[in-house]
Amino acid sequence: MTISRRTTLQWFATATTLSLASWTPAFGAVATGAGVPPPFDVVDWPVNVAPLPPTKGYGRDPDLTDPQVPWPLTFTKAQRAAIDLLGDMILPADAASPGAGKLGVGAFIDEWISAPYPRQQDDRTTVIAGLSWLDAQSRALHRTPFAALTTAQRGTLLDALTSDAPAPALARPVAFMDRLRNLFVLGFYSLPEGKADMGFIGDQVIEGAYPGPDDKALAHLTALMKELKLDDKARV
Amino acid sequence: MTFAAADAAIDVVIVGSGAAGGMAAYSLTKAGLRCLMLEAGRNYDPQAEVNMFAPESDAPLRGSGTPDKPFGYFDATVDGGWQIEGEPYTMQEGTDFRWWRPRMLGGRTNHWGRHVPRFGAYDFKPFSRDGLGVDWPIGYDDVAPFYDRVERMIGVNGGPIGLENHPDSPAGCLMPPPKPRVPEMLITAAAESLGIPVRAAHTAVLTRDMPDPVAPRSACFNATPCTRGCTIGAMFQTTTSLLPMAKATGKLRVVTDAMVSRVVMGSGTRAAGVEYVDRKTGQRHQVTARAVVLAAGTGETTRLLLNSGKDGRGLANSSGELGRNLTDSTGASFRAYIPGLANRPRYNEDGIGGQHIYIPFWLYEQQKRGELDFARGYHFEINGRFGIPPETALPRVWGPALKQAVRARSGATIGLVLRGEMIPNKDSYCEIDPGVKDRFGIPVLRFAFKWSQHEVNQVAHGRRAAHSVFRRLNGTILDPDLPPERIMTAGGEIIHELGTARMGADKRMSVVDGYGQTWDVDNIILMDGATFASGPHKNPTLTILALALRASERLAARLTSGALA
Repeated sequence: MTISRRTTLQWFATATTLSLASWTPAFGAVATGAGVPPPFDVVDWPVNVAPLPPTKGYGRDPDLTDPQVPWPLTFTKAQRAAIDLLGDMILPADAASPGAGKLGVGAFIDEWISAPYPRQQDDRTTVIAGLSWLDAQSRALHRTPFAALTTAQRGTLLDALTSDAPAPALARPVAFMDRLRNLFVLGFYSLPEGKADMGFIGDQVIEGAYPGPDDKALAHLTALMKELKLDDKARV
Repeated sequence: MTFAAADAAIDVVIVGSGAAGGMAAYSLTKAGLRCLMLEAGRNYDPQAEVNMFAPESDAPLRGSGTPDKPFGYFDATVDGGWQIEGEPYTMQEGTDFRWWRPRMLGGRTNHWGRHVPRFGAYDFKPFSRDGLGVDWPIGYDDVAPFYDRVERMIGVNGGPIGLENHPDSPAGCLMPPPKPRVPEMLITAAAESLGIPVRAAHTAVLTRDMPDPVAPRSACFNATPCTRGCTIGAMFQTTTSLLPMAKATGKLRVVTDAMVSRVVMGSGTRAAGVEYVDRKTGQRHQVTARAVVLAAGTGETTRLLLNSGKDGRGLANSSGELGRNLTDSTGASFRAYIPGLANRPRYNEDGIGGQHIYIPFWLYEQQKRGELDFARGYHFEINGRFGIPPETALPRVWGPALKQAVRARSGATIGLVLRGEMIPNKDSYCEIDPGVKDRFGIPVLRFAFKWSQHEVNQVAHGRRAAHSVFRRLNGTILDPDLPPERIMTAGGEIIHELGTARMGADKRMSVVDGYGQTWDVDNIILMDGATFASGPHKNPTLTILALALRASERLAARLTSGALA
């Protein structure tokens, strides 16, 4: 896959509907160079991740009126529990919507990393290695697996994995967290609860001409145009 | 080898059921001619198979594209795609070419861009304007009446353009365009303030009902992604319009899973018919007809002519141009996060699916004065709607801050997608691979493809223009800082491949005349994009339909007058 290919697929995704299938660009995912020194001694990145057992995709001509996931899920119980925990940290419950772990987005992550397609298999390697790294790093720091850390200890780890300019030693763990975060965003905001959280309005049949923006939306636009000194060019 | 049951004598065999084949079947059957349509793909019924309403979360992987379904699980394209099992194509060393092959009734019209600008006067005479490539043997005035009719026939919405080389449609051709969305109005204001014009796009989606006794179609109801297919018929696709209308005449028989392998010649200088392989059984059949229409898509039409004839250089190739002059549109995407759009008030932004407005090419005068470092033009298609923000638009945060960022940035990114003209060059062509056959034993195509400096400079110019619009909006540009060669799509990726059996006024330099009739065999008519003498940046489907209608009426006249005995 070349970058241009990814860019195009990304466009097709936005061009269709909700930007559900957006593709992680390879560029700029992790800033390299000196970066912020890690707040702890970083353990080695796990080298070996067992490949996916042979399984089949849904093929080129599946029944579109009856969608099915034909491949088995492959997370161990411990991996799924860690993912659910991470889901409730990355996208936590608040007044607008439940946490991603509670909502079951972990099942989507499992479906994703268990799919026999190249992009998903790249992500499988990243996610499974990342989960073992989290456990190894937790043991090195606190002598327990990630799941047994205190909330504050887990938070310190996640903070280190969301640095804007990570040190080279943290490049792979940060890339893992980038990927996992984006998978959670996709899995969460494509569900009815996630769309409601974003205030999404659509997917409703409207007979007759498209009504266009309402008064409130137009008022916001008018103010923005004024701010940008574009107010005399408001009409198509 | 078996011969198809002679249940009725056939006047015309039509290879392919997409835009060109659908139009040929419609026009020829209305003229009273008996047609047999051969489609390589399977039968397809949008009414039974399209899932318009299911949320993406019902699909595996939230509907994301995979090698099995490259444009998403619910995408209309079935049983085909970038690769087809047992039906490979090959590439010359150093070439990266993508060949999109749906294998279904209706072909590419079941999933397409629906953006249908007319070519202008300059587009038909590019050599006269800049000395590159060749002129078409026909001009805008020859095609204009067919544009008028096709727009009314397939249903196009849009508005006036009023710009150089962007012809307007006469009154009565277009349905009213939809109102623009907030990001579209903002882009319009920013672009126009920089001297870049923005206009209502011409889109093949109905905004008014189109009654018909056989294939009634409804106005768009402003919901569901068009690329899944449209069971109410608002989006033009041949499977809900031209094909049922042609069938209703009683003059059309359609055979699916019929992969045409070659044109069979008669005893004289005329074609007797075609040979096809039943993709289910592998059995070969021959059909005979008074005329052969090739509308299999640029690549397949060229392939089957190259695989026909006796001398190994292909049929209808005395010019040597068959397979040469391959072009695709250039493609590149630009995107920005616009802080001023963050947290904007929500409303329904679905509209008629894709863009409501676009940016037509606006620099013909500067180009004529020699102020640009590339020939020919490009346009921008516009996107930016509520939904999940793209990954590049989200900060690297977790917890409440991430939820906040998604809410704020939903609907706050905009995109400009470039489509540009490629000038034919000697390094871009297709030919028969001497060593590779598909599972039916049919020799496969081998592609060679290269962009020239014109296309590279054009994309670099487009990026500067797009970024100037983004900066005018105080946007954060989300594009990687890479040389233009590395942000361009691969050849074939925009699915506008054209030109490999071009038309011309001189039989030594072209494969077909201005009506798609091959110079060498006068009862073989080409009607798809293979005949294009150039590949303007304007999306080709409307012109394919107009030229197919024009060629079909000419063919019908020849068949009914006895000129083709």
